Amino acid sequence: MKTIAHALFLTLLVSMTAVSSGYGTDKVLNLYIWSEYIPEQVLADFTKATGIKVNLSTYDSNEAMYAKIKLVGKGYDLVVPSSDYVGLMRRQGLLLPVDAKKISNFGMIAPQFVNQSFDPGNAYSVPYMWGSTALAINTTLLPAETVRSSADLWKPELKGKLLLPNDPREVMGLGLKVLGYSVNEKNPDHLRQAYEKMRTLMPSVRVFDSDSPKQALLSGEVAVGLVWNGEAYTANNENKAIQYVYPPEGFTLWLDSFCIPRGAANVEAAYRFIDYVLQPQVSATISKSMGYSSPIAKVSEFLPAEMNNNPIVNPSPQDATRGEFLDSLDEATLKLYEQYWVKLKTR
Amino acid sequence: MNDSTLFRRLLIGSTCAWITLLALIPFLMLVAASFLTRGTETLVRPEFSAANYLHLLSPTVFSMAVDSTVLAAGAALGCLLVGYPFAMILAQASPRAQSLLLLMVMIPFWTNSLIRTYALVMLLKADGILNNLLVGSGLIAEPLRLMYTPLAVFIGLIYTLLPFMILPLYAALKTVDPRLLEAGRDLGAGPLQTFWRITVPLTMPGIIAGTMLVFLPALGMFYVSDILGGARTMLLGNYIRDQFLVFRDVPMGAAASVTMTVAMGLLLLLYYLASRRSGRELVQ
Repeated sequence: MKTIAHALFLTLLVSMTAVSSGYGTDKVLNLYIWSEYIPEQVLADFTKATGIKVNLSTYDSNEAMYAKIKLVGKGYDLVVPSSDYVGLMRRQGLLLPVDAKKISNFGMIAPQFVNQSFDPGNAYSVPYMWGSTALAINTTLLPAETVRSSADLWKPELKGKLLLPNDPREVMGLGLKVLGYSVNEKNPDHLRQAYEKMRTLMPSVRVFDSDSPKQALLSGEVAVGLVWNGEAYTANNENKAIQYVYPPEGFTLWLDSFCIPRGAANVEAAYRFIDYVLQPQVSATISKSMGYSSPIAKVSEFLPAEMNNNPIVNPSPQDATRGEFLDSLDEATLKLYEQYWVKLKTR
Repeated sequence: MNDSTLFRRLLIGSTCAWITLLALIPFLMLVAASFLTRGTETLVRPEFSAANYLHLLSPTVFSMAVDSTVLAAGAALGCLLVGYPFAMILAQASPRAQSLLLLMVMIPFWTNSLIRTYALVMLLKADGILNNLLVGSGLIAEPLRLMYTPLAVFIGLIYTLLPFMILPLYAALKTVDPRLLEAGRDLGAGPLQTFWRITVPLTMPGIIAGTMLVFLPALGMFYVSDILGGARTMLLGNYIRDQFLVFRDVPMGAAASVTMTVAMGLLLLLYYLASRRSGRELVQ
């Protein structure tokens, strides 16, 4: 069964490369981006403005995108990895260097999003959208004061009412932050402590879900969830009782960035697309329709007041400083994560 | 060479080429990878190691394999209990009703099983159709806790795999000679006794085939337990996916995958031997 799926996957990869390399250059951009991450309208407007046709392919995990770029390499001109995968792909030489001089709007990006540890000097990446992973609480099921910090998740009244992401980095990251460590911690002792801490949280966990955690929150299956702010934003729009808390212990920040893979055929088109999307009004359109935060400094001028004043999309500076970007992990640390992840999920 | 042999050779040749290219070669690549070491730059480093297989024997991984087996066996048993009565009704219905009922078994099967699993979420969730119906009719006061429970996983697996059980059972029941049942009754057997001593033994090949056809895919259907069970327990399928996609440990994922394939192959071999034996017994 597995073999056949694997075989089909490989054929799919091969055939997709064959199809996409059949197009001419420069009048086409092969964009490979997270699903539901860019509005159709923005792509249509870009084509109207530049004459470049956009072929859109989507992925729903960094790992899937990474595997394709690593194993096939060709066929895509622009990818949008998260910060840890920018670090990984940069270190493995899978990306072309980005020449910031070719991007006239590069200066539009707010200073707190450039020159991060996963890509010093932004030599390989240009920020696209960012956000946080923090706590969403359904206040009709639990009084808001029950959960004010990550440590509150261990309270007995949350038993069987908690949602965590189905993602080892986020789950271990929660344990690390509660213990006062960095989410990019490599010290095996600290990781073991984080695992043991998380182990004690397992009776509270009802579900692990990274695909659509808002469903479980909205239907009242869980009372509290560790979710992306985009999910919390949509949930809050449907039900104002769902509130978002930035825990005092700290939380993870995510930043997805444009990168040009080594095998890109239409590099010029990729630069033009990046430059187009960095315009404040375009970035505002994307932010508005997707609920994620834009890294562009002047974007607030183009956003409605309810978004600018919404702490889910736009955390206060004192909240934002407690956030930490995920960086990639080395193999030995990854092996520890694997063991702890399996242990957390088996009896 | 005349046209029909040419056509036959082309057909057989292309099927063989298809299987070799898309199933055999990838599988051999997996087998090869499972004995190698992981590498940072190339995913796999050409350095022999049996450590991956030894790691599969570690207590945590082993207990996960046991969990998966128990779940798949439970799904197979559930399908048998639901499928057998249905197949009996089906086999005894009028020809027109039979084709209609068979169509009703098959139609949901044409929809992607992932989509059907999401549809079950709509049915089972706290504010879903089933709970709204039960609460609305006053039968229960609080919504039932169905989603993210082992029960939901069983419902999902049984629903998805039921046709695999019904069809072989139906085929086996159709071949049961009604005169044998009459003879049993004439010799004084009650309905239960005729069922246990005539129908069940005669349909044993169908029971075994259906159980295999449910059990084997159930071992790999990790998305059902992820979506309906809340991904709380890790199953073999999750483990293999995580190795390839999350932890990027291709040799480890390959070793787990090869072990699972070999175990399934052994089960199929057992099935083949069992069906040959029961076939021989029938002849005798």
